[in-house]
Amino acid sequence: MSGDAVPDVEARDVEAPDVEARDIEAAPDRTRDTAAGGDYAVELRDVVKRYPSGGGEPVVALDDVDFAVRPGEFVAVVGPSGSGKSTLLNVLGLLDDPTAGQRLLDGVDVTNLSVAERTRARKESIGFVFQDFHLLPTLTAVENVAMPTAFDAGDASGQAADLLARFGLGDRLDHEPSELSGGQKQRVAIARALINEPAVLLADEPTGNLDTETGESILAEFERVKSEGVAVIAVTHDPLVEEYADRVVDLTDGVMTGGLPTDGPPEGETGDDR
Amino acid sequence: MSDGDGREASGLGGWLRGWRPAVSMASRNLRRNRVRTVLAVLGVCIGVLAVAALGIFGNVLALGADDAIGDIGTQVVVSPNNDAGVESLSDADVASIRRAVGEPAVVPLYSDSATVARQGDQTFATVYGIEEPALAYEAAEGRLPERHRQGAILGAGIAEDLGAGAGDTVEIAGSQVRVIAVLVESQTFSPVAPDDAVFLPESAFSADGYAQALVVSDSGAEARAAADAIREAVNARQDRVELFELAALVDEINEFFDLLSTFLLGLGAISLVVAGVSILNVMLMSTVERRQEIGVMRAVGVARRDVLRVLLAEAGLIGAAGAAAGTLLTVLLVAGLVVATPAVDAALVLDPTNGYYLLLALVFGVGVGIVSGAYPAWKAANERPVEALRN
Repeated sequence: MSGDAVPDVEARDVEAPDVEARDIEAAPDRTRDTAAGGDYAVELRDVVKRYPSGGGEPVVALDDVDFAVRPGEFVAVVGPSGSGKSTLLNVLGLLDDPTAGQRLLDGVDVTNLSVAERTRARKESIGFVFQDFHLLPTLTAVENVAMPTAFDAGDASGQAADLLARFGLGDRLDHEPSELSGGQKQRVAIARALINEPAVLLADEPTGNLDTETGESILAEFERVKSEGVAVIAVTHDPLVEEYADRVVDLTDGVMTGGLPTDGPPEGETGDDR
Repeated sequence: MSDGDGREASGLGGWLRGWRPAVSMASRNLRRNRVRTVLAVLGVCIGVLAVAALGIFGNVLALGADDAIGDIGTQVVVSPNNDAGVESLSDADVASIRRAVGEPAVVPLYSDSATVARQGDQTFATVYGIEEPALAYEAAEGRLPERHRQGAILGAGIAEDLGAGAGDTVEIAGSQVRVIAVLVESQTFSPVAPDDAVFLPESAFSADGYAQALVVSDSGAEARAAADAIREAVNARQDRVELFELAALVDEINEFFDLLSTFLLGLGAISLVVAGVSILNVMLMSTVERRQEIGVMRAVGVARRDVLRVLLAEAGLIGAAGAAAGTLLTVLLVAGLVVATPAVDAALVLDPTNGYYLLLALVFGVGVGIVSGAYPAWKAANERPVEALRN
């Protein structure tokens, strides 16, 4: 990683005048941001993510992205395929590090963590929901939900069973994923994401493999999750998700519009237009 | 490391606790592709069988040889040197031999041959005259006297041929003699072969001198020292006697069997290495197939160490199952061999040293599993989840 970091720092240094200019321009907002850092469940500041491409110019997946989500807010990220949505989720979910910029989780800077620290931060603060559910086929529903804590002291299966009961799967605790429908699998996946009471729930096309009705019921679950103060961020192509979202953010060619909440800086208004 | 802080505080207990879910997940993963798992287990099973069976085979051979060589390693046979014109050993020779060797017993023998018969069976046998048979031999039947004054002592082979036991009467060179004892079977290949011989008191012989003298030591080293002393003292001026000693040969035979055992173990080890490669292959395939699953585990916060545990447990379970099956199969195979082949002495097979080879094979089997699983497990656990999750 450090090999990547060195040229990145240099790159930032070269861009320094721009950053300064921007800082002066947005000085009042920035002060507010810093002061109210704890307001956001998750936040990206000036995040750049570049991937090296074979010999040529590096691919810019995220281009100076400012993004923040409040606890209890449901944000949908839309945009064409290959626009950097997955990269955004990976960076938000601590699966990938930004090339430049700052990443905060619950107001704490988590930009540069060791592999083990990132793993722990993911376990404690982030829940993942995938398009393909990604349940472990050998584990029962309740074991899948408790899986993130399987290697810890104490038994989380009671808590896992409660979560499943909440999602209407109280009678499916000992079923294996192959015995569940798509909607049920996605509910198990959401329950798994919530087992450690995370601050942020990240969903990658959560309704992508579900019919409209089931998709709608999953989105209703998201509403419930968000009402408990969890920030929900869903990357999607599904207009239905946009309907349920509090805010829709557009990401095209790595450039984000509407990344900050509506009462924030001018970018917010752009988001409102959508 | 920090993701393990909480658990490290609880030390060994925490470390062990982490293995329970790992083993549980591992055993379920192994059941997913039963055929593949069974084949990998079979590979280890055959490897362990090869190591254990060949190890035991070599050991039984060595033990059997040890048994067959018997006392010969501790005996020195002194004969007159006919080439130097010495026809027999005189009392003076025997006395100087006794002086030379010191501690070990010296048993001089007269020698002749005669027809030995009993109830129609008859055989031609070597007849020895001996005064102190108890110093050199052991009785299987009857009792060996301190001083042999009357009666005959039969070697095990001749007693069997004639169907004679202690208390019976046999005809030796025409005179009836009572059998006072039968010797333990010796299976040695010494120039003085007691199995097919008859031992009479010295008084039965009217020869001028002894045909041979046995020097009976407690150990091979003592026997070698005695032989050297005789060469130096008795053969100082003239080579009066010839020595037949097998201690050095016995050492070489033992070395040969050690080599044979190592060679057989090596052969077995090759098949165990092949089994290891098959585990490596199975684990690599299985981790590649489950790449996304492992990525999901890492994404939702399972530490690298715990992923490593699950995968190592899988390889270890394959190794342990194969090793257990291979050990059991070896026990059955060896038992079957003992039952089917009367030539194999059960006592040799039941020798506790064979258990060492079983244990060795068992440990090797489990070890091969873990060692072969280590690379795929390490590779999978260290893959970045973002790569693993990419479709």
